[in-house]
Amino acid sequence: MDRDLLRHCLLYHGPSLFNTLKCEQTENPDFQELLSELDKALHESGFGEPNNPLVEQFIARKADILFSPAWKTAKVKEGDEEPEEEPYAVMPPLELFMEVSQEERRSILYRDLEKGDVVVGRISNIRDYGFFLKVVCMAGGLKRDIEDLELSALCHISEIPSHRSHDDPLSYFQINDLVRAGVKDIDRYEEKITLSLRPASLSHSWKHLKLGVITREELPVQYSRSISAASNTAETYECILGGCHGYHNPCVVDYLLDKLGVSDTQPPSMMRGLQSKLFKEEDFAAAIRKKQSTSWALKCVRAGVDHFKHGRHVEAMNEYNKALEIDTNNVEALVARGALYANKGSIMKAITDFELALENSPDHRNAKKYLCQTLVERGKQLEGQEKLVTAEGLYRRALSLDDSNPEAKEALNKITDTIQKSIRLREEALAKEPVKAKSGETSAEKLRKILKEEKRFIFLSELEYQSMYQGWCNYYCNRIIDHYTEQKYKCNTFFGSHFS
Amino acid sequence: MDAPSSRYPAALNRAPGIAGRRESCGETEADARNTKTHFRVCRFIMELGVKLCMRSVPVATACVLYHRFFKRASVGAYEPYLVAMSCVYLAGKVEEQHIRTRDIINVSHRYFNSGSCPLECDKEFWELRDSVVQCELLVLRQLNFHVSVEHPHKYLLHYLLSVSSLVNRHAWSRTPVAETSWALLRDCYHGDTCIRHTPQHIAIATLYLAINSYGVELPVGEKEWWQALCDDVTKEDIDTIISELLQLYDMEAKCI
Repeated sequence: MDRDLLRHCLLYHGPSLFNTLKCEQTENPDFQELLSELDKALHESGFGEPNNPLVEQFIARKADILFSPAWKTAKVKEGDEEPEEEPYAVMPPLELFMEVSQEERRSILYRDLEKGDVVVGRISNIRDYGFFLKVVCMAGGLKRDIEDLELSALCHISEIPSHRSHDDPLSYFQINDLVRAGVKDIDRYEEKITLSLRPASLSHSWKHLKLGVITREELPVQYSRSISAASNTAETYECILGGCHGYHNPCVVDYLLDKLGVSDTQPPSMMRGLQSKLFKEEDFAAAIRKKQSTSWALKCVRAGVDHFKHGRHVEAMNEYNKALEIDTNNVEALVARGALYANKGSIMKAITDFELALENSPDHRNAKKYLCQTLVERGKQLEGQEKLVTAEGLYRRALSLDDSNPEAKEALNKITDTIQKSIRLREEALAKEPVKAKSGETSAEKLRKILKEEKRFIFLSELEYQSMYQGWCNYYCNRIIDHYTEQKYKCNTFFGSHFS
Repeated sequence: MDAPSSRYPAALNRAPGIAGRRESCGETEADARNTKTHFRVCRFIMELGVKLCMRSVPVATACVLYHRFFKRASVGAYEPYLVAMSCVYLAGKVEEQHIRTRDIINVSHRYFNSGSCPLECDKEFWELRDSVVQCELLVLRQLNFHVSVEHPHKYLLHYLLSVSSLVNRHAWSRTPVAETSWALLRDCYHGDTCIRHTPQHIAIATLYLAINSYGVELPVGEKEWWQALCDDVTKEDIDTIISELLQLYDMEAKCI
């Protein structure tokens, strides 16, 4: 329980609340700890205001919720408040409508004004050490009705940033200019306010405000509204509220909740049964919907598998697609559909489905098995197209998924042999070639041309080009082979055909 | 958070015999029982609201529609939980936070059958969905299609801003007045306070109670702060609303 809050509340309400609290919160260990402390505080202060016994009972019963330390309101968010369209109704200060006396307003202003707040005032006097402002209104940090308090504030010349090094900064100001300045210092006892025009004097939330001379249009909205309200007594708070454009913003509730720091997603409540910690995640709509979608999708998949077993492939595909519409990325549906694709021969689509299924559920046994088989088939297709190296990669992947598959193992071994053999053959053939004499166009240039035609960007140095023609030896062949993996085989075929 | 132990209600009409027996017991007893029923059903609506991630205003609209419906209709003639579900659905449409019937049915089903599996896409599910949609039309007709509601929420938020400027900023950030008043406002929808008083009065009353509970001191002028915020509210109005609200908290202990 928040100690300070509780103490403040008790001092306000008096001993009768304390007694009620003692009755209602006997089981609360936090309260028992604070008991003696509160007792002492109460005796020292005297009595508080007489109060409604029902309210006291309410406070006493709900004290553990009311004073729970977790329930702190976040700071009211300040910030850019003057966009073109005001997002909520910016009202004049309430003091105006309450008709609070001057003494009261003066005392609470000096109590609450702080360094870094922003004021707007009219220059009343210019001396050689600075200028005096008669404060007109607040422009940041507080919202108070202070024009008639006739507060005077000083801005020392050292606090005015100079525009140019020689000029007297005070020459830019004239009597009756409206100036926006930051509060540098307050002497609450002597009731003196010191101002500054340096941006560094502003607190963080008001850093974007421009200090210095301003025009009438730049006066804060709440001030201009308060002027019209003060002159016309028919304009009550409610009248003005309804008349503000921002009041009718459809998102005003969400905006203000955010500004005040109250959450609407984990909404507060004083009812014992509605405390947020009592709600379980699995009772929420989204969680139930997910479980339900999975279950509905599975039903469709089962129907689809049944169709498949009886040879009705079209209906089966429809069922699988329906299942995936209900629950995208449903693992069973993807695996089943993949199997159907593989069966029909659409190997690439099958592979996509299996891969997606494995992303969501990496240990799915059937997905792995089917993917392995499909990859082997694809590998065989590629072998037929002479894309041996890609095929080898696929066989390796297939084996990593399901290392018990004999077909995959056999295929992998076979293809590794084939690749190695062809490399060796090429190397032998190249090593036997005699050195060719240099013709008009150097062979290096010829090679470069040919390679460029084939659009293979093989970046070899000049030396390597020459060496290739001067002395084919294993070293350079291997260099080419090592550098260009995919092109490996193609390079060799190219070189082979060139020299055979 | 106990649900009634009865099976999931799907019927629109209850047996007329039960209603007859109730009336013979006497007016006040029936009233008291009805108030308890309404309390429980509104609690159901609030829980639905949280689990469906509805904002405060649509939940409030749903409660208002529910209370207005049963001002004219009798509790015996219509199944209140079904009416509540339809009110939630309708309120989602009115306040532009559309809720799918599937989600409403799922959450309600789990409310009444705690820990059960979600419903299959079978006849029972479609029948439930049909009842919700038909009941929605019934609610609309009962209310003469007047479903837009003015809520205290906007007022309360603006009042909070105005009042916060009167208080020292550090004292304000230490005291959860905003949260408490918002909680009180949400809770007052368990009863029919929301249709018996104007939104401004309700907003003032909840703010008053929150400020009073924490003992926040506000400056005094010619007028009290609540008089300045709303011209036609009197201290009696505030006290009436507060006592109604406090009665709701007492009822929680008895009903749930």
